[in-house]
Amino acid sequence: MDRDTAIGGPQGRFPSTQASLVEAAAAGLTSEALDRVMALYWKPVYRYIRLKFRKNNEDAKDLTQGFFAAALERDFFARFDPAKASFRTYLRMAVERFAANQHAAASRQKRGGDVEFEPVEEQAAVAESPEQTFEREWRRQLFSVALDDLRAYCEGCGKQLQFRIFEAYDLAGGERPSYALLAARHGIAETAVTNHLAWARRTLRALVNERLRGVTAGEQELRKEMRVVWM
Amino acid sequence: MDVSDAVVDHLRRVAALPDLTGTRYELESEIGRGGLGVVYRARDRQLDRRVALKILDSALAGEAQLIARLEHPAIVPIYETGTLPDGRVFYAMKLITGARLDEYLAGSPSLGERLRVLRRVGEALAFAHTRGAIHRDLKPQNVMVGEFGEVYVMDWGVDAVAGTPAFRAPDVRLDERSDIYALGALVQFLLPAFAPPALRAIAAKAMNADPAARYPDVPALLDDVERFQEGLAVEAWSEPVWHRLRRFGSRNAVLLWLLAAYAGVKFVLFFLRRL
Repeated sequence: MDRDTAIGGPQGRFPSTQASLVEAAAAGLTSEALDRVMALYWKPVYRYIRLKFRKNNEDAKDLTQGFFAAALERDFFARFDPAKASFRTYLRMAVERFAANQHAAASRQKRGGDVEFEPVEEQAAVAESPEQTFEREWRRQLFSVALDDLRAYCEGCGKQLQFRIFEAYDLAGGERPSYALLAARHGIAETAVTNHLAWARRTLRALVNERLRGVTAGEQELRKEMRVVWM
Repeated sequence: MDVSDAVVDHLRRVAALPDLTGTRYELESEIGRGGLGVVYRARDRQLDRRVALKILDSALAGEAQLIARLEHPAIVPIYETGTLPDGRVFYAMKLITGARLDEYLAGSPSLGERLRVLRRVGEALAFAHTRGAIHRDLKPQNVMVGEFGEVYVMDWGVDAVAGTPAFRAPDVRLDERSDIYALGALVQFLLPAFAPPALRAIAAKAMNADPAARYPDVPALLDDVERFQEGLAVEAWSEPVWHRLRRFGSRNAVLLWLLAAYAGVKFVLFFLRRL
């Protein structure tokens, strides 16, 4: 195998394998596990609460923060049973229960629950359910953090050129530049552009899978989540 | 790093593309994707021919080995299996040109032709069962009818397959009887709108919620279909008397016509003698 295109590269400084949620909880690393979960789930949870319970920006932020704080205090991870559902589903259900309870409590405090909901602009803009929004946001966040990992990894092992080519081509919002243009811009052959792109994509795939490993309970759930992401 | 949904969709596609460095294949286009893997059209550089390449998660390497063991005219032949640099496995197989069964039926083939396709599928399934393999996800989308009329059963499953709702048996554990259920669902799917009740009964028996009440094996189901084609009573249906008489009539039409002719001649001769 070509050393330069091998996952991890010749330096072998690929981010270390993350422990699964179950392993992390068993080892008493709940806070660390929560950090990993929050990195991927904060935004999806926030958006879900905002759409599902029609909360304004500040209330949704408070509820999201409150949910993760409560998760840390309670045995949130210990109660997760991978045989019953994926962690993603378990977390969304837990958010729903938590936000519903908080919402009911807030309504009681207002004597009669005549809370005025602020309009949620996104709800009118998209024809998708809060659950679908949660899934979409989760995928987007997963790729966002994996791209941060990829950039850090490339900087750490001197592959800034690979990242720049990848960024210019695969992260282009509009029209993608041609391989010839990228080759001319960086003074390399077109085949090198192809190779750099292939390497970056393969590494990104591995980093996404690593992030998934950190928020799943084991090999079986990881494989299922990988199919959700890549199929 | 914030990314748009469009960029995420692009990344999901390109980061899943197989790196075929070191293989004899050149990627051309995506053919389709299922719950277990993605199938691409590729060119075999050495033999200058098109093949179908299926890319699977490394945990599913068993699928390729399982299918490679199944050599049958109605099972897509595997040319080669291998591992990609990222650990995923691939297998190269014959690229079938033709129509998926659901598309094929849109051409309204005759009942006889539909039953021919069913027989080929059943034979492939029966063969796989004798080799200890079960399909787990038999459905019209996994059956191809080639341009010469050849029939192929594709996407042989592994443990991870959950099946497709309309074709999946309600069994807790999938086994040969679950495949028989799916074959029954396929019979139902294959039948035209006004199909003979005997064939509907065959589908219903194969799809019984109780696995023990289904056909004991695939050949038993195919035998019942053959009995129908030969005008005999099928095991799955206790037909009413009038239907039995009608079937007897159509099965013995020549004999009945001869008898009627004989009776007619005797009748005429009887009156002629009295003149």
